[in-house]
Amino acid sequence: MSQLDTAPLRSDIRSQNGTVDLFALGRAATVVRSSLHGSTCVFTRSRRLLGSGVWHGPRDAADSFVEQSDVEPNGGLSACAKAGVRTLLASDVRTARTAFDFGLRCLLRLPYQSGEPATERRERLYVVHEALQKALPNGTIIDGVVPTPVGEALGLDTLVFMATCRTQLSVGHVVADFARLGHRLAQMSLAFGASELFGPIVSERALRLGDNANNPAMTRKEVATFIHGASLTPLERVSGGRVEEVAL
Amino acid sequence: MTQKTSPFAQIRDKIKAAEPLSFDDGVALFHHPNLLDVASLANEVRERMHGDRTFFNRNFHINATNVCVASCKFCSFARLTEGSPEAQTLTHAEAFAKLQRRVDANEPITEIHIVNGLHPGLPFDYYTKLLSGLKAIKPNVHLKAFTAVEIHYYHQRYGMSVQDVLTQLHAAGLDSLPGGGAEIFAPRVRKKICDDKCSGNEWLAIHRTAHHMGLRSNCTMLYGHIETFEERVDHMLQLRALQDETGGFQTFIPLAFHPDNNALMKLPAATGVEDLRTYAVARLLLHNIAHLKAYWVMLGVKTAQTALWFGADDLDGTVQEEKIYHMAGAETPQTLNPDEIIRLIVNSGRSPVERDTLYNVIAEGEQLISKGPFRRNVSKRSLEVLQ
Repeated sequence: MSQLDTAPLRSDIRSQNGTVDLFALGRAATVVRSSLHGSTCVFTRSRRLLGSGVWHGPRDAADSFVEQSDVEPNGGLSACAKAGVRTLLASDVRTARTAFDFGLRCLLRLPYQSGEPATERRERLYVVHEALQKALPNGTIIDGVVPTPVGEALGLDTLVFMATCRTQLSVGHVVADFARLGHRLAQMSLAFGASELFGPIVSERALRLGDNANNPAMTRKEVATFIHGASLTPLERVSGGRVEEVAL
Repeated sequence: MTQKTSPFAQIRDKIKAAEPLSFDDGVALFHHPNLLDVASLANEVRERMHGDRTFFNRNFHINATNVCVASCKFCSFARLTEGSPEAQTLTHAEAFAKLQRRVDANEPITEIHIVNGLHPGLPFDYYTKLLSGLKAIKPNVHLKAFTAVEIHYYHQRYGMSVQDVLTQLHAAGLDSLPGGGAEIFAPRVRKKICDDKCSGNEWLAIHRTAHHMGLRSNCTMLYGHIETFEERVDHMLQLRALQDETGGFQTFIPLAFHPDNNALMKLPAATGVEDLRTYAVARLLLHNIAHLKAYWVMLGVKTAQTALWFGADDLDGTVQEEKIYHMAGAETPQTLNPDEIIRLIVNSGRSPVERDTLYNVIAEGEQLISKGPFRRNVSKRSLEVLQ
């Protein structure tokens, strides 16, 4: 899985000789995903520690996370861990490494931009790949990568990037952030290697109208239905790191 | 001993041999566990028919009235009676002004899409004068107007035959029919969601009449509510049968049900995977309908772009002032300018073709693609991942 220098990391989905690789890439990503997780996809009800020190999300959530940008305002990683944070959404490998030492689960955000030159994206992924290989030989420190669009996320570009991350990086999960990607695209990502859904999960379905039109929150049942609709079995990560199958 | 071939392998063989798929094949495709298998087959057919070419046009919408005697449960647009909050009926002057503004601004609009509620109080000449007035302002604009449901209502309301309704509208400027109102043909579903509009057979009969008059039309399917996969396949096969008979359909447009702000709001919305699979199955079942449109207003821009690799070859138009889906909670923008549509197409690895309503080519390929890179400026630092 370390062929980054020759991998088809392109912002478009045709190679120079016109060969279509979207479906081959999707299938390859599915093979890797299946070898690690079978036909399952996991999600977690989480609450978030904001930079203001306020918790946002359900009190009975099984997990709690902080974005790296909110770590310093809360007094650093040690303070976040003491406050009850269990997961860091890191934006660099160095911080992820430190967070691991504090016993946090680490997900690494991988930014991408639609239309960016293929070489830039390849180089950026190579950095991550190298970091994982050098500093994290057993791949346990970063549990997953979260492809994160900078600006708008276009559909095909996102799916190709998801599949590329899955086939090229030695991490446990490729995570689809449905708040950033939108529900539809996040679900499609499950056919292109993603094995975890991440985003706000609430107890009552939001009526997406008016000022609330762009509310990304989903209910537990909606998430499970999404996963099931992608022909996968929904698993919920519950307390203690256990996972339970969610019946529809 | 002969080896038994799987249902999917049999379908693949039929597709390779360009044979029509059966009802059972269609249902099997909806149940097939691997979306990418279905998609790659649909893409093969799409590329066999159109290569990389991906169509769009420059159009805008006029919804002249949302007053409606029907009470379809999936509808968030109709406001039933004149005087209801948000009920609106345009005067001719207001409707003409919408076009005149664009003519004055030299916008190269080629099509006006006109769809309305079933207003019980308007005289028939409201519609003929609407068409002739628009044609007077811009004679070469294509008027794609009135769903079969509206035509059927005019036939009942004004005591005219369907042929007479279409003949008078055509004389006033009607050029083709949009595909709306088909919903799902199955009587079980129609009884539950749109009992007071024309039946599936009546919808098909009106398009048959229009086709025999030389008018082209589009066709649609509203999916993702209470219908079964079998009812979707049945719907598409009825469209395919009429197309075999008349050849008058230009485009099939699957329309995802939007659950907000209507009587079916407890149902979940169609999901992205369901959208893509429906497009792929449609491309495989409807071998005789040339085009499959990913209506970005309804699908969302990202899904519509992705659908270009799942069978679709058309993104519809620039679309301005769309009301029907936006009143149902659609979160898409109400307009995409041509550069944005072209960017979506190019970014998907396809080649843009600007068309008119009848798929005559206005411009394509390099003529349409600007020289600048298709990316927005963002800070390079925001893309960095530090070691």
